[in-house]
Amino acid sequence: MMKRFLCCSAIALLGVGEVQAESLKVALVETLSGSQASTGLLYRTGVNYEISKINAAGGFRGEPVELAEYDNQGGPIGAADRVRAAIADGARVILQGSSSAVAGQVSEDVRKYNLRNKGSEVAYINMGGEALALTGDKCHFYAVRTSPNAAIRFQILTKGMKELGLLGDKVYSINQNYSWGIDVQNIIKEQAEAVGYTVVGETLHDVNKIQDFSPYVAQIQQSDADTVLTGNWSNDLLLLMKSVADAKLNVRFGTAFLDQPGNIGNAGAVAEGHILAGVFNPELNPASSALAEDYKAATGHYPVYVESTAIFGMQLFGAALKSLDKGNGDVSAKDIILAIEATTIQTPTGEMSMRAEDHQVELPMIIQEVSKDAAFKVDGSEYGFKPLKAYSAADSRDLVQASCQMKRPE
Amino acid sequence: MEQIMFSLLNGVIYGLLLFMVSAGLTLIFGMMGVLNFAHASFYMVGAYLAYTLQPLTGFWLAIVIAPLLVATLGVFVERFILRRVHAFGHAHELLVTFGLAVVIAEVIKILYGNFPVDYRVPSSLNFSAFSLGGMEYPFYRLLMGGVALVMFIALYLLLTRTRVGIVVRAAIHRPRMVEALGHNVPIVFMSIFGMGAGLAGLAGAIAGAFYTTNPNMALELGIVVFVVVVVGGLGSMEGAMLASLLIGVMTSLAVSVNASLADLLDTFGQGEWAREVGGVMTLQLSSLAATLPFFLMLLILLTRPSGLMGEKE
Amino acid sequence: MMKKLLIVAIFLTLLAALPALVAESMLNVSVQMLIAALFATAFALLCGQAGMLSFGHAAYFGVGAFATVHAMNAFGGEGLLPTPLLPLVGALMGLVVGLGAGYFSTKRTGTYFAMITLALAELLHSLAPHMRGLFGGEAGISSFRMPAWGFEFGSITEVYYLVLFWTVLCIALLWGLTFTPFGRLVLGLRENTNRLQFLGYNTHVLGTLVFALSAAFTGVAGGLQAIHIEAANYVFLDAHISTAVLLNTFIGGAKVFFGPAIGAATMVFFGHITSDLTRSWLLYQGVIFILVMMYLPRGIVGETLACYRGKAGALSWMILLWRFAGVLVASTGFVLAVELIQRFFSTDYKAERMADGWPSISFAGFDWAPFALGTWGLPLVLITAGIGLIIYINRRGAGQQEART
Repeated sequence: MMKRFLCCSAIALLGVGEVQAESLKVALVETLSGSQASTGLLYRTGVNYEISKINAAGGFRGEPVELAEYDNQGGPIGAADRVRAAIADGARVILQGSSSAVAGQVSEDVRKYNLRNKGSEVAYINMGGEALALTGDKCHFYAVRTSPNAAIRFQILTKGMKELGLLGDKVYSINQNYSWGIDVQNIIKEQAEAVGYTVVGETLHDVNKIQDFSPYVAQIQQSDADTVLTGNWSNDLLLLMKSVADAKLNVRFGTAFLDQPGNIGNAGAVAEGHILAGVFNPELNPASSALAEDYKAATGHYPVYVESTAIFGMQLFGAALKSLDKGNGDVSAKDIILAIEATTIQTPTGEMSMRAEDHQVELPMIIQEVSKDAAFKVDGSEYGFKPLKAYSAADSRDLVQASCQMKRPE
Repeated sequence: MEQIMFSLLNGVIYGLLLFMVSAGLTLIFGMMGVLNFAHASFYMVGAYLAYTLQPLTGFWLAIVIAPLLVATLGVFVERFILRRVHAFGHAHELLVTFGLAVVIAEVIKILYGNFPVDYRVPSSLNFSAFSLGGMEYPFYRLLMGGVALVMFIALYLLLTRTRVGIVVRAAIHRPRMVEALGHNVPIVFMSIFGMGAGLAGLAGAIAGAFYTTNPNMALELGIVVFVVVVVGGLGSMEGAMLASLLIGVMTSLAVSVNASLADLLDTFGQGEWAREVGGVMTLQLSSLAATLPFFLMLLILLTRPSGLMGEKE
Repeated sequence: MMKKLLIVAIFLTLLAALPALVAESMLNVSVQMLIAALFATAFALLCGQAGMLSFGHAAYFGVGAFATVHAMNAFGGEGLLPTPLLPLVGALMGLVVGLGAGYFSTKRTGTYFAMITLALAELLHSLAPHMRGLFGGEAGISSFRMPAWGFEFGSITEVYYLVLFWTVLCIALLWGLTFTPFGRLVLGLRENTNRLQFLGYNTHVLGTLVFALSAAFTGVAGGLQAIHIEAANYVFLDAHISTAVLLNTFIGGAKVFFGPAIGAATMVFFGHITSDLTRSWLLYQGVIFILVMMYLPRGIVGETLACYRGKAGALSWMILLWRFAGVLVASTGFVLAVELIQRFFSTDYKAERMADGWPSISFAGFDWAPFALGTWGLPLVLITAGIGLIIYINRRGAGQQEART
């Protein structure tokens, strides 16, 4: 990928007589190997798909947008190293999404780089780190988040489930003991009065260390809850659900990440009836089905999990670039960010736009249920996600956090 | 009361699962004197092999064949890799097993992908055994516990009551003498390693259906198994059983305890101060449940390093 | 002696001139390589020289990093601790924690010692995310390099020189340590603890001191890491950092002083280059670990030195060259096989397969038909040829040696 940069710059140098703008270089700094690679690879596919669409529609200022991929090896050290390498290779925009911890590091690295290199700033598009702090006290002008955050997910989950009559009165909140999980736990508590339920128990547990969730299941049963709300992902969600099903407890799960590949295939009937607050559902309307089919034609599978978030994020980015297309020469990161702030797009699920106050995107959310009746099955099983209700961006938005004191450039 | 029963039962079953995985490791450690980093990888390979075989041979045959295949893998590893490195010292053996663990994990990711695979308990076994305190207890858990117990009894009898067992135990303590007496010690070591690997494979084949089967299985289980082996006593089968049960029950019971150091200090009237200090003081025991085994390990290492039932050096 | 000094001088000049010679992205990796080299050398003080295998050195690395980050935030690069002096905080913290941890750890020896260090590190790693004030949760604590002494410390070049200075200083100090009586005693710890005790030395105190020194220099490495990425995260305490330094040390050669440094630098460089080239780079790294442990037990540097000094048997350059060629051929075949297999089983290929039959896999500019003989035959031939060549050369070399004696 780096070779592509070099080769194109070499060709550009050889270009005789013409003064062409250098193509816009975009770098994806993701976890592409190691134990956390599964999500990073999904972001990679989604981003590649949409960038090739942008290029098929003419690219930017006559040149294709160049995407380079960097493997951050799963941690902040690798991420810091790769961000620097990407900037040194000429990237103007950094993309990342699979981890809040890495997102924090990249965001800070971009901020510090911009402070030290006024005039050649870079922009950072956070496609998936959902911890609140990233648009809270860690917000800054050159970072935007194109995915939901903990507040959006769980405000809409509780509201939607209540309106659909799927939320009981007694909610048990169980989450992972790190910033995302703690954010979710706080949101669930805050929403209790407004939406109308009681939190009868809450637990924080170690992240991805627990094999046996039965003690927690015992606590859920003791609390007499009828709904379990959790921000857990990966093994923590799957094992928790299976444990609850084994004990034959009659509870409904409300989750943020049930659609992670492998979950439904592994859980099967156990997952039936549980709820997801997600960003996309191919069954929602003809436009979504068309997008899903087009994605499948290009990549071989329907968009799963974070791929849709990546696609929508890149669609917003692409629309912002389109609005800057008329200009000449190189574009600055500041112009790109301002353009993103000013752009509103229509995705198959509804209208999506970027808030200027804290750079949190406002996008439609869909309450979905695991069901045999879903038109699009997942994981090769007989289950899929059936959309129950879609909420527009205006209905799903969260409040701007007071901790975000963004300094805007003049 | 029922809650405590439930927690105890859960803890015991989880402990038995830990024993299934660590039995092989403690046996191999007793023999080689070095901890095998790749042991948890054999566990993972067993699960994936059982998953691959299940559609071909059915569940029962799969969980018989998979451990045999893993045992063969173990034999190969011992014969061609470990035997060569044994002469160079413990550190080298350890690092080779670490490299092996990495290689196995990566190969599995290449062949099966990064996400959990669809290895499930067959529907014939997916019923509940009894109900306790309003909750159902799945039969498969009891099956896992049962297999672990049978494994323990079989190993114990094999090692203490049979001729082969005596030779094995002698070879662990006095390999030279046993060789002088005419036994083929390298073959003994090879078969012990193979057996240890096979036990881990069996544990994986059975537990992988109940828990998830994913490429990070080895990482998830790896460290706890070390703790079990150290706490139990390096090389002691009974110690491994005791330690597994202890750790299983401890982890299970701790989850229901929401007290913290600050609450403890309440009895001395310093609770308010502790809460103001925050940090470690206000950590609830329940959120530390997965950290407790390390406290135990440290305690054992400092007070009785040979473990609960290991031999005093 | 003069030759050694000359080599060292040339090497140092090269390092000093590096920013002028390589691209900026390479400078980034160079900083990481220096930090890893220092970490490995500090670790080897305990592991190679004192013979005490520690599984939990990430704890001191992380402690040094966090101490430095807090100092960066507290002092803002001025006053008592201007930016260039910040690694001293890492050293101090590492020393203090090392004294405490070492006191308990060195009560036991051998495997038990290793297990205690592992337990301490894992305990710290588990508790760290809960202590948000100290360790900052999973986003860690971030900071900002402030200008000091006339330097901005904004560009990577200045960071490089800072790191280079501290690395060279610390490695030089450790090198000097080996010549002192204390350094000799440390070797005694490895060779025969009983004898040392008979000679009247308190081996527990000795062990604790060595542990603390090793932890102190590790703390410096951690501090440099924190200065480099301007952040510290509790993943610095993770077990894979401990295992990485262990592997780097032994790949370089634990018993040779400069072995660990070279091993660490090589592995960091290897990881950086290959992780962007191929998805399966961890597999290659694992295979390299296994092969080095099996066939180069003294480590790369150790084996090279042994060859040079004639200890590994008389070796002609021809034999070495042929062996190298064999390794190259076999590796090419192996890499080819792995890349083809990885692509064959990947989800992208499964998708292409659903479209039409068995399409060919494209790799290295060629199209490989999945069931053609050539596709799997070529890597197989390369691997067998390479290994066969090595075996043949070894046999010939052994035969020649026998003929000579």
